[in-house]
Amino acid sequence: MTLLVAATLVALQAAAQRPDSRLERLDSITRPIVAALVDSARAAALPTEPLVQRALEGATKGATADRIVAAVRGLALDLGHARHALGPTASPPELTAAAAALRAGAPAATLTELRRVRRASLIVPLAVLTDLVASGVPVDSAAAAVLSLAANARDTDLVEFRRAVERDIALGAPPASATAAAATNTAVQVNAGARQQRPGRP
Amino acid sequence: MFEPDEELIGRVVRQLRRPVTVDANLDARVMEQIARLPARRAGGTTRAAWHWLTRPRTVRLSPLGALAIAAVFVAVVLSRPDRLSHPASTGAREFSFVVVAPRAATVSLVGDFNDWDAARTPMQRAGKQASVWTAVLPLTPGRYRYAFLVDGVSWLADPAAPAARDDEFGTPSSVVTVGGS
Amino acid sequence: MGIHSVGTSDAEAVRRVLGGDTAAYATLVARYRDRLARYAVHMLGDREDAEEALQDAFVRAYRSLERCDDPARFGAWLYGILVNRCRTTGARAARRGRVFVRDEAALNGVAHPSAAERTEDGDVVQRALARLGPEYREAFLLKHVEDLDYEEMARLTGAGVSALKMRVKRAREQLQVILREAERV
Repeated sequence: MTLLVAATLVALQAAAQRPDSRLERLDSITRPIVAALVDSARAAALPTEPLVQRALEGATKGATADRIVAAVRGLALDLGHARHALGPTASPPELTAAAAALRAGAPAATLTELRRVRRASLIVPLAVLTDLVASGVPVDSAAAAVLSLAANARDTDLVEFRRAVERDIALGAPPASATAAAATNTAVQVNAGARQQRPGRP
Repeated sequence: MFEPDEELIGRVVRQLRRPVTVDANLDARVMEQIARLPARRAGGTTRAAWHWLTRPRTVRLSPLGALAIAAVFVAVVLSRPDRLSHPASTGAREFSFVVVAPRAATVSLVGDFNDWDAARTPMQRAGKQASVWTAVLPLTPGRYRYAFLVDGVSWLADPAAPAARDDEFGTPSSVVTVGGS
Repeated sequence: MGIHSVGTSDAEAVRRVLGGDTAAYATLVARYRDRLARYAVHMLGDREDAEEALQDAFVRAYRSLERCDDPARFGAWLYGILVNRCRTTGARAARRGRVFVRDEAALNGVAHPSAAERTEDGDVVQRALARLGPEYREAFLLKHVEDLDYEEMARLTGAGVSALKMRVKRAREQLQVILREAERV
């Protein structure tokens, strides 16, 4: 048993609620630690489902107790940071998406600004930001581009934007300039669409 | 009088007539709600039958009536819908996952949407084509990590999807994002 | 829920439910779910609202099943309940100031271009539908998509046949105008 696991066992003594039966798939070392992490998250009003899923992913992939515990702890911390950046009104899926964006290197300030400029759900803009970084776009470029579009673009516009960037990168364009170009194009389309469209109300 | 606009309306109607699917869990939600109602007593049958017999019955074959008659010849198989790990909610959309794995004997879709349980969502070969495997799942808004498990041992990411950034367990994963609030 | 065999007609299923076999109702739900969903989704323009109206209609139909005059025409009767539910839901949504929500198939990270194209096209039509007044939209859908005759529509909606014919006519005219506008863009 490593130092990490032992230390965590000692440190976490939160009273367990009725444990999620899915955690029985974890071995006897991992299970109580993950259960305690889940309880702490619940007490902090953070979503617990992503933590359970991360643990189950580790179990299915045959990962060691160390790796599972580290992954779940890391995610719990990210979710806490995400809550801090997005505020208390963020939905669980938004927090999950935000946690991934933070892990990808997006500054917390970007997330806060996103919340400020966009009234619609942040799931897709956060996902696009994270996916662009995974495609090799520098995080600053990705963040700036998504922020510039977030106020007015619909979810479908943002997905199209991401696809355009990935296409251009695949064709050899440098990621940062591909991103900037696609963002400009998307902004033009979004604004043009906004002028022409008179959305109906049922 | 013939109007060229007939074509336009015709196109619209064809579009609208296309089948629409809703959340697979709707049946279960209806039956659950009904189960919570006070039990029906058998006396209801007598009342309804009497009422039926005393009303003049005109047989008019509306399209809905035709549907009911056609349904007589259809076997209705009902089974308990798959419980997703997320609480059943409205707003789920069906998504199809596709992967090419020509030499696989079995392929499973595994991810945040099914507790990473390799037995939950076995994929099907698409028609006669042995190399293409598919599965369909209803998903509520959110971001899901997933991968394909081939023959119970090899992990395959989805080449058509964004890669999951944190690869903490040493195997590749992909991400699918479902928008909405 | 078990397996219900071939030959369970609507009348038979209704009879069973009234006799206390609650599970038999599931046959009816499964039989009518998608058909009714089509109407609700197009009428309300929002899948969540449609599912809510659908669920509501099924439960109400179950609760007042004794009042179904002709169990062989359960479908038509259920339909009338749904049309009513959609009117109530539609009014609520309008008060919320809810904007049309688009089909989200296009948001799937796994790209299927043909699905995206279909969504685009259906999008235009659904947006055009949304711009009709609710009574016109209702009449148009019942007549042209759900294929009801005017007598049946009159029974479902409580409006007169000539009023319904006028609404369908106006709906067609307005749709043509809206769609031609959209094409010019």
